[in-house]
Amino acid sequence: MAYLAMFHWGWLLGAFVLGFCMGWIAVVYRGAPVPKVWIQRLSVLAVVVVGIAIAKLVPGRFGYWLDLGLALFGFYLVGCAIGSWLRDWVVSRHVPAA
Amino acid sequence: MHGLFRWSSKWWPGLIPLAILWAAAAWFSTVPLEADIAARSNAALKSTILDKTRITVAGRDVSFAAEAFSEDGRRSAVASVEAAPGVRLVNDETRLVAEAKPFVWVAERDNVRVTLWGTAPLPASKARIAEAARAALSGTEVVDRMGLARGAPPRFDAAAVLLLDQVAKLKDGKIVMSDAGVSLSGMARDLGGREAIAAALKNLPEGFAVAANEVKAPPYIFQANKDPVAVTLTLSGYVPDNNVHAALVATAGRKFANEKIVDNLKASIGAPSGFSAAVTSALGALSRLSTGTLVVSDREVKLSGDALYEAAAGQIRAGLARDLPTGWTAKSEVSVKPAAAPVDSTVCQQLFTQNLSKNRIRFETASASINADSAGLLDRLIETAMRCPSTNVEIVGHTDGDGDAAFNQTLSEKRALAVEDYLVKAGLPADRFSTVGYGSAQPIATNDTDEGKLQNRRIEFMVRQ
Repeated sequence: MAYLAMFHWGWLLGAFVLGFCMGWIAVVYRGAPVPKVWIQRLSVLAVVVVGIAIAKLVPGRFGYWLDLGLALFGFYLVGCAIGSWLRDWVVSRHVPAA
Repeated sequence: MHGLFRWSSKWWPGLIPLAILWAAAAWFSTVPLEADIAARSNAALKSTILDKTRITVAGRDVSFAAEAFSEDGRRSAVASVEAAPGVRLVNDETRLVAEAKPFVWVAERDNVRVTLWGTAPLPASKARIAEAARAALSGTEVVDRMGLARGAPPRFDAAAVLLLDQVAKLKDGKIVMSDAGVSLSGMARDLGGREAIAAALKNLPEGFAVAANEVKAPPYIFQANKDPVAVTLTLSGYVPDNNVHAALVATAGRKFANEKIVDNLKASIGAPSGFSAAVTSALGALSRLSTGTLVVSDREVKLSGDALYEAAAGQIRAGLARDLPTGWTAKSEVSVKPAAAPVDSTVCQQLFTQNLSKNRIRFETASASINADSAGLLDRLIETAMRCPSTNVEIVGHTDGDGDAAFNQTLSEKRALAVEDYLVKAGLPADRFSTVGYGSAQPIATNDTDEGKLQNRRIEFMVRQ
């Protein structure tokens, strides 16, 4: 993982920034949310895929691409979480002041 | 925390650009990543000893094929690749180098190059052996066709290096090491080379033994070339030692009194038994030729050239075969020189005088038997007599002043008769010759010195109309 992070830091930073932006927007976004049941199903799917990656079941380039996708997805999620939390903190700080 | 769950349900639109980012990352990074991992894997194997190493990378998975020289080395190499940064999986396609049974190594020399065949135990020893071959055989092309295999006997490298030194002593041949048995065949480069190789083989490392040593010595060559134009006798090749050398040169001096002796002989061991006697006898035969070459190769004597007249050719052929020591063979290619133009009596006398002034007919001490060293001179005198068939010749014998005058008188007459007899046997008509002896009555030099006596002991040919 450390090797992947060093080799792909640019791409991972891109995923993080993308996630940060999406998280920033999500706090005030008025579109339809993903139903809870779908989130649960997708979470299970994500766990299964991570399990497959950890078990190194997919060989060769496909295995690498799976690792790469999961790494990007992980950074995206972290970016989303930080973005949303920060936006929420900014918004809640401004409301009392208003 | 509750907020985070709520917001996460709205994070999905970002997955679309994330998927695009993923595709782009996969597209642009795969090949550089594979190249980087291949370089790191190769770097991890730098200190390991392997043969036929092949590394191919797909994604982060490394297919590692190689031949290792021990099980420990093989495991350690695989572990090194597994530990290389970035490697996810290693497809282990390594195996041990095949074991050679028997373990055969060959050094073969021909006229042009030395070829190394067979197997070496490790790449380092293969390189060391090839390097030793180049050092031992400087100036000769060395072709390395050695493979690698396990199963070499202990101290293999040392044995191979020692054997390469022996290859340098061969003109051509082959040295085969099969396990710890060494077989040699071929021809030594120099006389004595065979013995030098046999001596060096005693220093083979412990455990090695000579299974067969069939290295032959090069032929022991002696050559003599009689050149009538340059009036030289050139001696070349080998003689056993300095004593034989001096004796042969002295013999040549007596038998070839007219020719300048060019001595290019070298002393060397390895002469066949009877060498000295055979060469002396063969030089006698050569001295009777007008032009000719004598080649003594081991126990074979080859004489070629032109005799001065027909009867001499027959005598030379028969005499050479008869006079050689037992076990020697003779090959004569003696033809007869075309007869020289006839001359008148004056020129005939000049030719006789010329021949007898440079050399003299020798006899055994106090005897009328002609010394074999004079055969060449007598042939020239016979040839001269043949050129003036209408003349009569008086053969005159003289002795030195030593001893009883009556004995000397008789001896001089007998010696003149012996010469006449020799000429008649050569095919000249007896009625052309008469003989007379003067004992010591007509000296041409003082009898007080050995040199003077030598000059007084003589045969003269006087042409009579």
